[in-house]
Amino acid sequence: MAILCALAASSSPSAIFAPANCNPSVSPLSSKGSVAGLSFPLSKPVAATVVGQRGFAVRCQKDLSVVPLDQRWMFEESEVDGPDIWNNTWYPKARDHVNTDKQWYIVDATDKILGRLASTIAIYIRGKNLATYTPSVDMGAFVIVVNAEKVAVSGKKRTQKLYRRHSGRPGGMKVETFDQLQQRIPERIIEHAVRGMLPKGRLGRALFNHLKVYKGPEHPHDAQKPIELPIRDKRIQKQT
Amino acid sequence: MNKAKVLKLAKGFRGRAKNCIRIARERVEKALQYSYRDRRNKKRDMRSLWIQRINAGTRIHSVNYGNFTHGLMKENIQLNRKVLSELSMHEPHSFKALVDISRNAFPGNKNVVHAPRKVAVPLSV
Repeated sequence: MAILCALAASSSPSAIFAPANCNPSVSPLSSKGSVAGLSFPLSKPVAATVVGQRGFAVRCQKDLSVVPLDQRWMFEESEVDGPDIWNNTWYPKARDHVNTDKQWYIVDATDKILGRLASTIAIYIRGKNLATYTPSVDMGAFVIVVNAEKVAVSGKKRTQKLYRRHSGRPGGMKVETFDQLQQRIPERIIEHAVRGMLPKGRLGRALFNHLKVYKGPEHPHDAQKPIELPIRDKRIQKQT
Repeated sequence: MNKAKVLKLAKGFRGRAKNCIRIARERVEKALQYSYRDRRNKKRDMRSLWIQRINAGTRIHSVNYGNFTHGLMKENIQLNRKVLSELSMHEPHSFKALVDISRNAFPGNKNVVHAPRKVAVPLSV
């Protein structure tokens, strides 16, 4: 592993990281015929957004470790080589989760199974697909859903699934079926589904605002250049 | 004296718990109990966070955490989860190399038996 890091980084802050742990791994590597890591092209140009975060540098590409000589007096002895990333778990700073730098995704809900779609959306909104996932911080992306009125459900749910709400007064429970709600306010179906899958709390409510659901195929977010939401669920498309 | 110490520990508490000794004493006792318990919980929570981050990082490369860890164990790579999560964030190429090693060692379970699907009901239009 030290070999891999040393090769992948010109000035390797990752060389600080304990070689004692890697020695057992070096021998199986070198005893194999092909060494997967060493066949990396060394001068591969990499955008800092490999993990999809702007303002979040890939350390082996950028020389973050060395403090310039004229600033050494400002730092403590232990910090002079840069922040210790190997012994402290990374926590995002404010610039790592600026809303303007977040990714926007778009998904067409036509003939997609409601729950499976909502589950995928909730994962992207919460940020659980990112290696930089932090539960207390909003690291997720924005998701636009279009054609919300065409979302599908299996079985008899279209006429049997009930949506309930209560006004707070006695006898104030209102019940409607999936069908009726889809005629009335189709966006609410997807919003209800995704809200149930996001965490409940202050952060969850803030995350919910990152979901944008629209009735037809049009949406006003062209300026954010949304990309297609990658869906890995094979059973999300309604079988006809 | 003890009152002063207790009130010093009660800084930042809500309402009378930061000012009035009777209430502050209770709250400070609870706070100290929580901090004792949470010094032990923190180790668990951190490990859980590392595992979630590693899971996300490996799923980018179509491997899940369980298979990844199994592959690493087969290759006797003893990197711990803290370091693996930092690698997945800061050194993505090295992490991809690890994922490839793991995938070579353990390509995933091909003999998974899925539960029998329920009888297909004709979908309502």
